[in-house]
Amino acid sequence: MRRLVWPLAILAVIALVVAPLRLNGYYVNLIYITMVYVGLAYGWNIISGYAGYFSFGQITFFGLGAYTTGFLINYLHWYWMLAALGGGVVALAIAFPIGYVMLRLRGPFFAMGMFGMAQTVRVLITAFPATGAGAGLFLPPGSDVTAVYYWTLAVALGAIALTIWIDQSAFGLRLQALREDEQVAGTLAVNVTREKIYAFAMSALIPGLLGGGFIYYLTYIEPDAAFSSRLDLQSIVMTILGGVGTVWGPLVGGVVMTQIAEQLWAKFPQAYLMIFGGLLVALLLLLPRGIVPALRARFGTADE
Amino acid sequence: MSDALLVVDNVSVAFGGVEALSGVSLEIRAGEVFCLIGPNGAGKTTLFNVISGIVRPSSGDVRFLGESILGWPSHKIASAGIARTYQIVRPFGALNVVDNVAVGALAHTHSKRSARSVAREIVDFVGLGPLARRRASTLTLTQRKRLEVARALALQPKLLLLDEVMAGLTPTEMDSMAEFIVELGKRGVGTVCGVEHVMRLVMRISHRIVVLDAGKNIAEGNPQAIVSDPRVIEAYLGAPISEAP
Repeated sequence: MRRLVWPLAILAVIALVVAPLRLNGYYVNLIYITMVYVGLAYGWNIISGYAGYFSFGQITFFGLGAYTTGFLINYLHWYWMLAALGGGVVALAIAFPIGYVMLRLRGPFFAMGMFGMAQTVRVLITAFPATGAGAGLFLPPGSDVTAVYYWTLAVALGAIALTIWIDQSAFGLRLQALREDEQVAGTLAVNVTREKIYAFAMSALIPGLLGGGFIYYLTYIEPDAAFSSRLDLQSIVMTILGGVGTVWGPLVGGVVMTQIAEQLWAKFPQAYLMIFGGLLVALLLLLPRGIVPALRARFGTADE
Repeated sequence: MSDALLVVDNVSVAFGGVEALSGVSLEIRAGEVFCLIGPNGAGKTTLFNVISGIVRPSSGDVRFLGESILGWPSHKIASAGIARTYQIVRPFGALNVVDNVAVGALAHTHSKRSARSVAREIVDFVGLGPLARRRASTLTLTQRKRLEVARALALQPKLLLLDEVMAGLTPTEMDSMAEFIVELGKRGVGTVCGVEHVMRLVMRISHRIVVLDAGKNIAEGNPQAIVSDPRVIEAYLGAPISEAP
């Protein structure tokens, strides 16, 4: 099982790199959207999976990244990829003050607080004419879909690499300790305030970079798309399905969920959502800790 | 005074109108086994919470190695060399035994690998070796008690606060814990044991004893002096009938 992971990963990366050259637009779009979801899921998994701060508002940083990128392209005429990078940097920078305040809340209060934060930032951003207010922001027409595809692939792979590092590092162990018991972690010399703010910032950088690519891909963005709670919720469900706080959970959950959704939609267009919802409930009842922990328990690589 | 590891100076803690500690002072030297005894509710855990930075006293001062640690966050106090265990065991349930201990070892290394190898040794030392890969949530109470001590030891503390570390152990286990504490003292670690009962062991292992009752320091001295102190007898056994109202 473990020996298969790396050869499979290399094959998958090669397939993803070649895909836009060989597949038609429909599939390229499908893979692109899946990568956005998977990337968001990885971002969420750091603060919520490893550090245990269940957030309902990481989409705040997707929106911030998207609007910053749009602003940089339209008003400062930056090259889109630099602008998208700027979107990530702004999301990262704003995550520090937001995290400093919000991470004083715990449990359901943090979850709801972050939901409120997403709404607040959305309203604030659309209060200015420069962002197109409620109508949205239009970019110059003509985007390079293949380039956005590779950008998103790079961000998603980067998010996976970051997660692998966290899982192996002292930082990750400290996060897991504070997730289990913050006070005890403190008396074991873990600087809980600092560690969780770092985790939060990482969980903001990833959606910020993805949002930057997203606005360039669509050449248009409006507040409801940039701060879409649907996008947020779906990436959370993917992570829960795959396994919260695991390295491969967001990927496995993301691929399984988008595949099931796509197949059902093609075969049962009328009953698709009903069957999808039922399947999801069944999967979560059967594998309450997610697919990856269930597999690890089955193949004996988990702690006893 | 100069060789004191920890000085608790006239510390009071009030929760609302209730004084959990009033004017408690004590002093612990390196290598000393210091027992804090007193009935349930006497304020032992509150004192531990003050020393480890969880509860801020309403007045008084706490000095460690000559420096006031009042207002320090608990991670800074832990890094300075004060480790503690919890009366109600609090393992990191989802982590295995080695990783539980490795968290403490990270105070001295930034590498997870070397933290784990230090943790491995400590886990063997406290007798949890065969359970190293078990999730902490699956351990028995006795094993969890040992894990509490192992985690605290991983910090390589100069001062160890053991809150009711004897509670829930069998007499044999208490004996091995007692020997363990004596051994730590020989290595220069100052130990404060909060103990409610088990006087037999307290008498045997402690260099000095402080008796707390209702948040007050009612007696202090060596074990022989403590057992014959009438105030201690009163706190534990009640006043003689002739003096009762």
